[in-house]
Amino acid sequence: MFKYMKYEIRGTYRYILGVLALVLILITGLYVYIDRMGRTGEISAIGGTFMGLSVMILFGTALATFLYIVGSFRKELYEDRGYLTFTLPLTGNQIVCSKLIVASIWFLGLGIAIGLYNILMVAIFAPVEVSLSELFREMSAIVAVRKVLFSIISGIFSIVNMLIIIYFSMALGRVTFRNKRIGGLWFIIFIIISILLGSVALTISDYLPYYLDLNTSRIGTLDSIRINYQINIDVNAVAVKTSSDMATINIASTIFNIATTVLLFLGTGYLIDRKIDL
Amino acid sequence: MKNIVEIKGLTKKYSSKVALNNINLNIEKGKVVGILGPNGSGKTTLIKILAGLLRQTSGEVLIDGRSIGVYTKSIVSYLPDRSFLYKWMKIEDAMNLYKDFYSDFDEEKFNELLSFMKLERNMKIDALSKGMHEKLNLSLVLARNSKLYILDEPIGGVDPVARDQIIDAIINNYNEESSMIITTHLVRDMESILDEVVFLKEGNIVLTGSAEALREERGKQIDDIYKEVFGE
Amino acid sequence: MDFNDNLPIYMQIMNLIKSKMASGEISGGDKLPSVRELSKELKVNPNTIQRAYQELEREELVFTQRGMGTFATEDMEVIKSLKRKMARELVNRFFMEMKKLGFSIDEVKSIVFEWIEREDGE
Repeated sequence: MFKYMKYEIRGTYRYILGVLALVLILITGLYVYIDRMGRTGEISAIGGTFMGLSVMILFGTALATFLYIVGSFRKELYEDRGYLTFTLPLTGNQIVCSKLIVASIWFLGLGIAIGLYNILMVAIFAPVEVSLSELFREMSAIVAVRKVLFSIISGIFSIVNMLIIIYFSMALGRVTFRNKRIGGLWFIIFIIISILLGSVALTISDYLPYYLDLNTSRIGTLDSIRINYQINIDVNAVAVKTSSDMATINIASTIFNIATTVLLFLGTGYLIDRKIDL
Repeated sequence: MKNIVEIKGLTKKYSSKVALNNINLNIEKGKVVGILGPNGSGKTTLIKILAGLLRQTSGEVLIDGRSIGVYTKSIVSYLPDRSFLYKWMKIEDAMNLYKDFYSDFDEEKFNELLSFMKLERNMKIDALSKGMHEKLNLSLVLARNSKLYILDEPIGGVDPVARDQIIDAIINNYNEESSMIITTHLVRDMESILDEVVFLKEGNIVLTGSAEALREERGKQIDDIYKEVFGE
Repeated sequence: MDFNDNLPIYMQIMNLIKSKMASGEISGGDKLPSVRELSKELKVNPNTIQRAYQELEREELVFTQRGMGTFATEDMEVIKSLKRKMARELVNRFFMEMKKLGFSIDEVKSIVFEWIEREDGE
């Protein structure tokens, strides 16, 4: 399986690095421009166009990259590449799992790289000098390690969850309709499944309102844990203070989400092993 | 295990269209079997089921006594009728991919095949012509020491020189321990390398048997029998 | 070699080897190419070559030595009778064809004599 991931990465890394380079250059440009505007206080026509264009390109790139990454799975189903992939001695689960891991790595990698770069830019251009050690001290005072861990895990989980739903939709779309031309169909299936799963999760959390507080490890209803949303955003956007209640999760809907993710994963593997007609 | 492939009552339908109708076929170890028929006769459908790219609607398909899955994929060396390698690859990368996934891949054999086909390891796959593609794919497929080779139209759409080279490569690399299934509608070029022939017409086997026995029985070449069966 | 004849390919290969033996291109006791070599040379399935060798062996024109390969028979009588048999077949075919063209035996005779005289003359 790791061998397969190797080829998956080698097939996509050039594009990803290109995108990363483009995005970082644009972000730098934006920061430089905002910084100068902040000092002179005037907006030139060229500068305005540049900003607008940059933002548009950033959005476009984000969308294109997203489609490119999930498209790696679509190509197996809708293009001749499947003739290689699906005759390799691999199970459907192994193929899906490899695709999933590589896609997650790209999303996380891109996210972290761009995030860190933004912090760097802020550190460079921020009007108030903040020493990094002071920043970290302050941050660790506000943010519990647990909470950081929790947000990382839930972030990864939501990426994986979304990818699985996309892969499943693609596989289902391919199996249901032999006609390759209705390729955009997976997107409709994806939206339907997402809405369906989302509303079921909501309903479940309504019926079983038991929550786990990750800071105190207490279980109870929201009232008993004492909900207290309080978010103060610093003007410099350096620190985001949140109250402890950000880290509460509904137990039932979390279990439901995890279970559906696993089921959809196995379902995709099953569709590939048993149902795909290339 | 005398039969490498056993097919019983195999039917494949695409929604309402029947592509294969109740096929029964055994393929013995060590034989070269030609599946003959015009386009749309069900040849490629049959091959794809054996390769694991299609699932049958009903019936049983066994390769080396096992139903189609990871094991059969590991002992079947399949040449699709189209190019299937990643576009970013060089020939060397494609070789490494085969080496990584198939333990029966023989690099020495592959190098011999490459030089026979006049291909270089550092050529980019994107830049290959149709005939070169076919030669590369065949080199990869034949460089495996598999129990079963499945070649889908190996000489379809290539020029006569490449055609000769491909047929030579198939003969040079055939060994008695393995079996080979070749689909073709270019019977004249292939007939001297076939042990058995299967004529497929609209999803049905209309004639099958040993190529020599058929020649003896009918006093005709397989090519002429083909023309008779399919009424060209 | 083109296998355009309507005979099974193994028979065509047998005939090829037979005529080489008759002409002396392959002499008694010579080693025949291996199945694999001949298969590559003629572009024919090795199983078919194998069959041809087996049939030749049954007709006692060749013999196999374990681990050594297949050899043309050393028995000169067998080769002689092979030559005679092939000659007979040729003459047979010749007369059949001439008959088909409507020649009488006497006419055929005179044509043959004419031909021999001309050949001798050269």
